[in-house]
Amino acid sequence: MSYQAETRSRSWKSLFASRLEDILGEDAVVSADEELLAYESDGLSGYRVKPLFVVLPSSSEQVRDVVRLCCREKVPFVPRGAGTGLSGGALPTEEGIVISLSRMNRILEVDVPNRVVVAEPGVVNVSVTEAVSAEGFYYAPDPSSQIVCTVGGNVAENSGGVHCLKYGVTANHVLGVEMVLPDGETVTVGGRTPESPGYDLLSLVVGSEGLLGIVTRVFLRIIRKPGAVKTLFASFERIEDAGAAVSGIISSGVIPAGMEIMDNLSIRAVESVVGTVYPRDAAAILLVELDGPAAEVDAELPAVSGMLRENRAVEIRLAADEEERQLFWKGRKSAFAAMGKISPGYYVQDGVIPRSRLADVLGEIGRLGERHGLRVANVFHAGDGNLHPLVLYDPDREGEAEVAEELSAEILRACVDAGGSITGEHGVGFDKKRFLPLQFSEQEIDTMNLVRCVFDERGLCNPGKVFPTPRTCVEPGTREGGGHGAFSENETGVLF
Amino acid sequence: MVSRFSGPGSGDWEAATAAFARPPEIILYPETVEEISEVLEFASRNGLRVLPFCGGTKLFLGNPPAAPIAALSMKNLDGVVFHEPSDMVAAVRCGARVRSFQETVGVHGQIFPVDPPYLDSGATVGGLLSSNLCGPMSTRYGTCRELILGARAVRADGEIINVGGRVVKNVAGYDLAKLLVGSLGTLCVVAEATFRLYPAPRSSKTALLGFSDPARCRRAAGAALDAEIVPSCLEVLDGNLSSEILPELPSAAAAVAIRFDGFERATAEQAAAAKEIAAAEDAVFVEPDDKRSSSIWERIREFPFDDEADLFCRMTLPIRDSIEVAEDIGREGAVPGARFRCLSRPARGVVLVSVAGKEATADAARFLENLARSRSGGIMFCAPSSKFPAGVGAWGDFGDAVSLMKNMRKRFDPSGVLCGEKMFGVEGARAS
Repeated sequence: MSYQAETRSRSWKSLFASRLEDILGEDAVVSADEELLAYESDGLSGYRVKPLFVVLPSSSEQVRDVVRLCCREKVPFVPRGAGTGLSGGALPTEEGIVISLSRMNRILEVDVPNRVVVAEPGVVNVSVTEAVSAEGFYYAPDPSSQIVCTVGGNVAENSGGVHCLKYGVTANHVLGVEMVLPDGETVTVGGRTPESPGYDLLSLVVGSEGLLGIVTRVFLRIIRKPGAVKTLFASFERIEDAGAAVSGIISSGVIPAGMEIMDNLSIRAVESVVGTVYPRDAAAILLVELDGPAAEVDAELPAVSGMLRENRAVEIRLAADEEERQLFWKGRKSAFAAMGKISPGYYVQDGVIPRSRLADVLGEIGRLGERHGLRVANVFHAGDGNLHPLVLYDPDREGEAEVAEELSAEILRACVDAGGSITGEHGVGFDKKRFLPLQFSEQEIDTMNLVRCVFDERGLCNPGKVFPTPRTCVEPGTREGGGHGAFSENETGVLF
Repeated sequence: MVSRFSGPGSGDWEAATAAFARPPEIILYPETVEEISEVLEFASRNGLRVLPFCGGTKLFLGNPPAAPIAALSMKNLDGVVFHEPSDMVAAVRCGARVRSFQETVGVHGQIFPVDPPYLDSGATVGGLLSSNLCGPMSTRYGTCRELILGARAVRADGEIINVGGRVVKNVAGYDLAKLLVGSLGTLCVVAEATFRLYPAPRSSKTALLGFSDPARCRRAAGAALDAEIVPSCLEVLDGNLSSEILPELPSAAAAVAIRFDGFERATAEQAAAAKEIAAAEDAVFVEPDDKRSSSIWERIREFPFDDEADLFCRMTLPIRDSIEVAEDIGREGAVPGARFRCLSRPARGVVLVSVAGKEATADAARFLENLARSRSGGIMFCAPSSKFPAGVGAWGDFGDAVSLMKNMRKRFDPSGVLCGEKMFGVEGARAS
């Protein structure tokens, strides 16, 4: 199933480009080097590959026709949303094309009674909420890039956000998708119903990192805005106490909408940049957001405050109004960007651990940082154990980027050793495929490959991602693999 | 390989085989995941067919097996593997009863928030996962799909695999654990599963709303969905079902049963909000005490598998459509000769129907299938004796993704060891 990059002739490229233009029109095929530059990487800018072309389809039919052409010509294709992904999932493939869904950005239908919004994949996450806000509804998944990132990208990555402790990740909010399979067939998986009969293919597609096809329409679940929202901020002298408070709050019977912890290095970074309310000398701060019916939130507040006090919170503040609530969140939301101010380079890691192992793993991360001589700031979705260690380094110092990468890798090992995962929301993509074997055996990865083969026998759809080594699709009952080579020049000529 | 097995004339053979539409040739009792692996590997090499089962309460789901089978009883794979209270995560073997798993985690003030049919009469974790038939609490907590974090399973070729993980957030690789949920044991045999748990609520309040006509009930159910309340359960009962289960609402043409769980003050205030919704539609409003409430929810949970109806049906529809369809089904004389009892769970878009009237089941099935199709919904039929009316299969239309589903089965089980016909009918009996 592995795609072997091949160098195509100039004449083939020219023919291929004109065929793409036939499908899409001239203005939807990007071929100039300076314009391709913008598509060479996604949010993980350390990896760059120049694609052959970038295409900008405007409809599901155009996506289908492009995919069919790629399929015939054995050209790999990489779907791309807004390019905010942090695992290199939209990294182009050499001698392949990028299919950017940015022009498919219409909300097609708002069906409030059935709690469904039907959107094209290029719709920006926050636009979904904006479309239903006046009627008292919202779309819950809120990755930090939500004002830029698209719902298609969210589906590919199964994106999370700060509120998934209570409301779940993208998989919990997608009812169905229409998608173009890698062989050019269009199918609908799931639909506008909360449950669907048959195998749960939707759970495979959400989080498939663009390897199973190209989503051209998404059926999103919208939910009622909560009657009340209350946000608490607490500071601690020991980060372990903040972690214990998180477990205590949940044990008390409260599932907050979100619980976020930042350590001292992160606090100082954001305070030096945006200046919020976080005390610079605190070892950690914890943000707790409660939402739901007003009576429920009112009943939960004393339980949460009690648990914060019991775990030695130094300062506890309840946001008095929406303005103060936004102030509480401002620091957290600026955390990644603030790192750029205190360090010339930083590497965002994304690992998950069982909540109960928080203190151990944070201790281990500290020791690993010391051993490698680098600082690590910690910002994390504490309620669900999703850590975002930020490894700070200077790219101009020789070898330091490599040390940062090695340190990041060891942090992931620590997460897996603690019973966790190599990624909670950023995906495996290109960046972490070598770590997949930390978490899964060869047989388990082979089983995932069975799924891929069901959707993409030829291995043309976003190749080189997720799987640590190329894997072929053996047709059930046969011994040989697919063995697809590229068309010869001659055949190509015939096709055109 | 497997040291325990039984055949005709032995021990619990009769009880175990009574649940099968087609009695198996032999029942095997593996005690470890390795033994399951050995059985499946042997079966795949020798062209044998294996049907895993646990409590045997839901073997009538799906199409009946089409050819001789060896039944793989999971009953000896019992017990909780681990429970980490501070993570609110537990793993349990599939032969364990759901109720006993709930009791184990309940010691630490936690719940495994499912209330499936047969909860007190043998429902097991394996059967629950395999069918994904969850009960009224799925309104708030979702189904096994939302609760499962990982699983230890055996592929049809005997390979033992761990899928997913034990943390609540995990996007490494494909989410195979969810794929196995609801697959009726046709892709892998699941031996253990890891679930997320929730804190036990401190209090619970149930409200019953009885309506003089179904249209008022529909409006009130819609208002309840729109209101700023978060019910754990919200069910709409037709007049027939209401008169059986809710005698406190005499002569109701339709009823809503709603439950709030949480802090006492919050449940009380939400029940008050429900009372206002009732008042707006001139409904009778009753708040039963805790004891009566739990018996009501038990009856609702067991529907529609609680009597000797001739056909059961489970429709999956868009949310609001499910209330409307339930009203259509409840209309007098919708299908001559058929008596329907109907319950909808609008937050899940689920409509459960029981059909009585042997002569009319085929017409009733067509009527229900058309209703589901008209709302872009799905449908599952089951007959208590696995005897479907002519022209009716277990499943309606899987949509245009059906070829992907069949291909999935073929990839996972190229030798046709597991009973694919349960999902796809006889043509799926042997996938190779």
